[in-house]
Amino acid sequence: MEITKAELLSFYETMVTIRTFEEKAAELFAAGKLPGFVHLYIGEEAVATGVCANLTDKDYITSTHRGHGHLIAKGGRIDLMMAELFGKATGYCKGKGGSMHIADVNLGILGANGIVGAGQPIAAGAAFACKYKKTDAVAVCFFGDGASNRGTFHESLNMASIFKLPVIFVCENNMYGISNYQKNHMNVSDISDRAAAYGIPGVTVDGNDVVAVYEAAAEAVDRARKGDGPSLIECKTWRHRGHFEGDPCIYKDPKEQEAWLKKDPVLSLEKKLTELKFATVVELEEIKAAVKEKIDSAVLFAQNSPDPDPDDVLTDVYAS
Amino acid sequence: MATVGIIANPASGKDIRRLVSYGTVFDNQEKVNIVRRILLGLAAVKVKRIVYMPDYYGIVPKAVDGLKSHDRLSMEIISADINLTGTQLDSYRAAQVMESCKVDCIITLGGDGTNRMVAKGCGSIPLLPVSTGTNNVFPSMVEGTVAGMAAGVVARGIVNHFPVVQPTKKLIVYKNGLPIDIALVDAVVLRDKFIGSRAIWEVNHLVQAVVSRGEPHNIGIASVAGYLKPIGVTDKEGLSIEFGRANYKVLAPIAPGLIVPVEIETFQKIRVNEKVKVKSTPCIIALDGEREVEVNEKDEAYIELTFDGPKVVDVKAALRAAVDGSHGSGMEELHKEFVLQE
Repeated sequence: MEITKAELLSFYETMVTIRTFEEKAAELFAAGKLPGFVHLYIGEEAVATGVCANLTDKDYITSTHRGHGHLIAKGGRIDLMMAELFGKATGYCKGKGGSMHIADVNLGILGANGIVGAGQPIAAGAAFACKYKKTDAVAVCFFGDGASNRGTFHESLNMASIFKLPVIFVCENNMYGISNYQKNHMNVSDISDRAAAYGIPGVTVDGNDVVAVYEAAAEAVDRARKGDGPSLIECKTWRHRGHFEGDPCIYKDPKEQEAWLKKDPVLSLEKKLTELKFATVVELEEIKAAVKEKIDSAVLFAQNSPDPDPDDVLTDVYAS
Repeated sequence: MATVGIIANPASGKDIRRLVSYGTVFDNQEKVNIVRRILLGLAAVKVKRIVYMPDYYGIVPKAVDGLKSHDRLSMEIISADINLTGTQLDSYRAAQVMESCKVDCIITLGGDGTNRMVAKGCGSIPLLPVSTGTNNVFPSMVEGTVAGMAAGVVARGIVNHFPVVQPTKKLIVYKNGLPIDIALVDAVVLRDKFIGSRAIWEVNHLVQAVVSRGEPHNIGIASVAGYLKPIGVTDKEGLSIEFGRANYKVLAPIAPGLIVPVEIETFQKIRVNEKVKVKSTPCIIALDGEREVEVNEKDEAYIELTFDGPKVVDVKAALRAAVDGSHGSGMEELHKEFVLQE
């Protein structure tokens, strides 16, 4: 599969944006400046980037509690995201949702979701709508290893398969459901194995290699757009930080953590870009500096934004 | 005491070829079932010691755990002492451990890629490769039960190695003068820049290939050789192919269910120990169907055909030899210990 220099540099910018956003969120959370919880995507950037690079604004995604990366990769505005993390009226959910409920329907972002596995039927429903309306749009459902144990996973794959829906189920297998190691909560090692039960293709890829993810997603998206039905892609990856900020991570084996840190997706891509002479170290630093400026600007926007008006507490809560 | 090694790759049969073609689906539970049957086959011919590669799924322990109570094994089953990485390195390191503790035969479960890694570490120990991968030229589709029995008769010396254990060829990839990797079946030069999802399925990316063997009934790039100039497993030659201008055109099954026209500029037989220069850099070299080696613009790369690949057990020949006694002291031993048990 041909991947151009421009595409690879675009992947890099997206991944650096996610990394920088998350590092800033960690810093702000530690300083007590964010009112809600945050679950950071650091280490998993290649998955959202590689998948969303195959999507357009007309395509849908459903996200998870660890959703910042998905939203950024799908084109979400980082100033509105940051304002939401700050709980400000200018945020995506007017400050009422926080990190785990950010949505932007105009971009096909059907929402992060605090309930494990809740995005799967929503994605299947969106895919049903795409098929019913005879568009060539697709839906992508991001979820974790733990979510593949939920009834929603099995019901959604079954329904997607039987209706041949244009949906791609992307499992970000970071080996832990919260603090529970995968082998302690399921009797399969490769979640892609579960696709066979529903008669759809299931593949496992290196989730820290953005090109591997991009290639697999490109094939699955193409298949979905052509009406050939759903796919399951398992991306093996690793979250560098705890389940949530403040998690002491005592359940992780330090040696395993060390081994995965050596496979950092952002650093791996930097190495590849310089080896291919697609960019110099200086040019990569310039990209990072520009991204940092955008994140700082988003923080400033959030800090200077007003808090929600208490009179609006019930606004948007009920459909009118 | 006769010892058999088992290397069952939990990651085989799950790559992108299930999306871009119709690759076989081999879930790990089926590998557990196959290992269970292998163990029963080994037990039937009285192998008493097994060394296995540990893996993140626990294929061998699960196989043992799931046996019916009346099938309990009276054999010592030991995990090879390796630090698991969850990568293909595990197969290589397990093979090294088995080589160092001198097991008598190694049964592998995987595809060409798995056997390539095992071959790098197993030395002269005979392999009995059971196919559970995607592109399978090197391993055979063989029932686990008889695979276990065949490995057992070889391991116990009930049959002589010759002629039931066959030599094979291999390809050595050199980069800047140093051998850096091997392939058992084919080394394919691609105009790619990335290893990415590893598999090969786009023929317009093919630049060059060197194959150690290739028959029309093969799957993968070896099949291209099969349609141009078939090269048998034990033939003392290989084939060098350059893709491009369509002086020749073959319809080849380059992946399961993916039968496509392949355009060939030129091809020629090569002799054992002959080196073929990689003509286009930068490139990626795929080994036995998986993109593995990155070659930069200024690198110089060669591919050499040799006849010192892993030794492979011929399952049919091993069991036949054991029964008819045409080689070694087969029939008497096997009948006494297995076939004619009272």
